[in-house]
Amino acid sequence: MSDPRSVLRRRAALLPPVLLLCALPFYLDAFWLRIGLFSMAAAVGAVGLGLLSGTAGQLSLGHAFFLAVGAYGYVWLAGEPGPGLPPAVAAVLAVLLAGAAGGLFSPVAGRVKGIYLGVATLALVFLGHHVLLTADSVTGGFNGRSVPPLEVGGFAFADSGPELTVLGVPFGAEERLWYLGLALFALTWFTARGLLRGRPGRALAALSDSETAASVMGVHVARYRSAAFVVSSMYAGLAGVLLALSFRRVVPDYFSLALSVDYLAMIVIGGLGSVAGASAGAVFVTALPLLMTRYADQLPLVATPGSGGGAIGPTEASRYLYGAAIVVILLRAPDGLHGLARRAGARLRRRRRATGPPGTGAAPIPAAGTDPTDPTDPAARAKEHTP
Amino acid sequence: MTAAPAAPPALDVRGVTVRFAGLLALDDVSFTVAPGTVHAVIGPNGAGKSTCFNVLSGLYRPTAGTVRLGAAELTRLAPHRIAALGVARTFQNIVTTRGTVADNLMLGRHALSRAGFAATALRLPSAVREQRAHLARAREIAELTGLGAHFDTPVALLPYGDRKRVELARALCLEPRVLLLDEPVAGMNAAERTRTTEVVREIRAELGLSVVLVEHDMGLVMRLADDVTVLDFGRAVAHGTPDEVRRDPEVLRAYLGTGTGTGTAKEGAA
Ligand SMILES: Nc1ncnc2c1ncn2[C@@H]1O[C@H](COP(=O)(O)OP(=O)(O)OP(=O)(O)O)[C@@H](O)[C@H]1O
Ligand SMILES: [Mg+2]
Repeated sequence: MSDPRSVLRRRAALLPPVLLLCALPFYLDAFWLRIGLFSMAAAVGAVGLGLLSGTAGQLSLGHAFFLAVGAYGYVWLAGEPGPGLPPAVAAVLAVLLAGAAGGLFSPVAGRVKGIYLGVATLALVFLGHHVLLTADSVTGGFNGRSVPPLEVGGFAFADSGPELTVLGVPFGAEERLWYLGLALFALTWFTARGLLRGRPGRALAALSDSETAASVMGVHVARYRSAAFVVSSMYAGLAGVLLALSFRRVVPDYFSLALSVDYLAMIVIGGLGSVAGASAGAVFVTALPLLMTRYADQLPLVATPGSGGGAIGPTEASRYLYGAAIVVILLRAPDGLHGLARRAGARLRRRRRATGPPGTGAAPIPAAGTDPTDPTDPAARAKEHTP
Repeated sequence: MTAAPAAPPALDVRGVTVRFAGLLALDDVSFTVAPGTVHAVIGPNGAGKSTCFNVLSGLYRPTAGTVRLGAAELTRLAPHRIAALGVARTFQNIVTTRGTVADNLMLGRHALSRAGFAATALRLPSAVREQRAHLARAREIAELTGLGAHFDTPVALLPYGDRKRVELARALCLEPRVLLLDEPVAGMNAAERTRTTEVVREIRAELGLSVVLVEHDMGLVMRLADDVTVLDFGRAVAHGTPDEVRRDPEVLRAYLGTGTGTGTAKEGAA
């Protein structure tokens, strides 16, 4: 719906953030890279849930289940005990497995709508958790399993294998996984935005606004509802694989109802119905608690770990602050970070126009994908390499 | 991509009865929409006109009776299958969906396009090409209905009359063989009415489709309709040309209680 020139301009606006993300491993230490990695994995999953709950209006509390299918699917398929497939094949199959699990649920997902689907998917999380605990031979039970590193054509996304140094910076597991995460996130971004702007995305959005209008315009309601569920599950599966690789160990307790709720928080905070929003929300929800736990001792009223006393501990403090941040965002920007960024961009443009013509060169366009919560301060900290 | 100029099949409504928890909304209603004609369905508030449309578009399943479009029995089909046969409709109370006018019109192209999840997600050339072609046709239809200037405007920002026209344009995007219009000018001012009347007249002349029209504006009905069916309390009380129907004593009774007088416009309090 836009002329080629504006498409080109939008693509160009994407370039600086992409270059920045590619450069970060040369400046950030392992702690920050791990935060970024978790954020990217979460963003992949959040985009999937955004398609289902944000665009198609189908509430799902079962996202943690499909993350678990992806994570455990990969570990089992690539590992021992298990078929011990090549890890890259196992990763692809794990994504398909998550999609298939979503498809098995389609008799429910196709017919049940809105909040009722939310309740129905609740069952999946409890079922999944139970299976993870009891099917020892596949899942490793309560203690979980360690994750076989991903290898593509002899290149390992881990500390193992031949050492790698790029421009004087040693590339360990975090640096390598960072680029894997970036590639998978780019794939997610590309496909999800394609979907949203194309025929299926329009059908899903219409379905959530008016099932009646969508159906008389030719949308097969039940089929599209199921398809949204399957696609969302596949993104969850991909996120699960990436999370497993980042954690290097999968345990059942991680894939609890709280995780599903975190993902819902991501898409609401980010702004429903937008890929950029879901990604921003994912970074917010993932990074904030980690950062607050790390820097809690510099906050007032927080006790250092182990010091006891009346003050609250860093973990609680980070939860409180995190909760408060969510409330503030929802009060100040009901349409989430995405809406906030869009309005800020519009205000900026208006002010620039008011202060006279921009003169030469293209005015920088606030990219839709600009992530206001990205914890980037690369210049401030020296790169320390801790093995 | 342009509509096949072949005449649409006849739409045949036979003995349709719809009962809602004791209320007989439609009682053994029969009428036939001849190919390429404008067939008006009129009647007082609550007569069952919208219910009739909901049966035609597959949203309600009748308690008894059948609706056929040519050889196809619509009463057996789900709404999306009926849409695929080329039956499009508008709603009495505007039902648009989120996004711009373009988004809404492209929804109207859904049944005519193929791109699935995989092709769209990967932006395969086939999907991109298809989208571009349909977008071009949607823009043409927007021009035809006078929405060209608003093509990229969010529907929610448009005034009432324009939103009503978005529905008409969206239905036209289906390249329908049968177009069901439920009170297309209700709530519009005189200028908007004239404009919509012109559009309906044009599309019917150009595309040769059948139109079923529910409307309280008698002036519009008299000008556009070839045939009229009058519903009262769910029963079809009269059929005929506009002139015949206007003189029918049953119709005068339904509209005006008893007594004489000309059939004046009666506004839908939608
Ligand atoms: N879904 C439904 N459930 C129960 N009753 C219904 C339903 N839909 C319509 N009715 C009833 O059926 C009758 C016919 O309604 P309908 O909407 O078809 O009338 P109408 O001729 O379109 O009237 P109007 O001119 O006011 O639009 C009314 O009494 C209405 O209350
Ligand atoms: Mg009505």
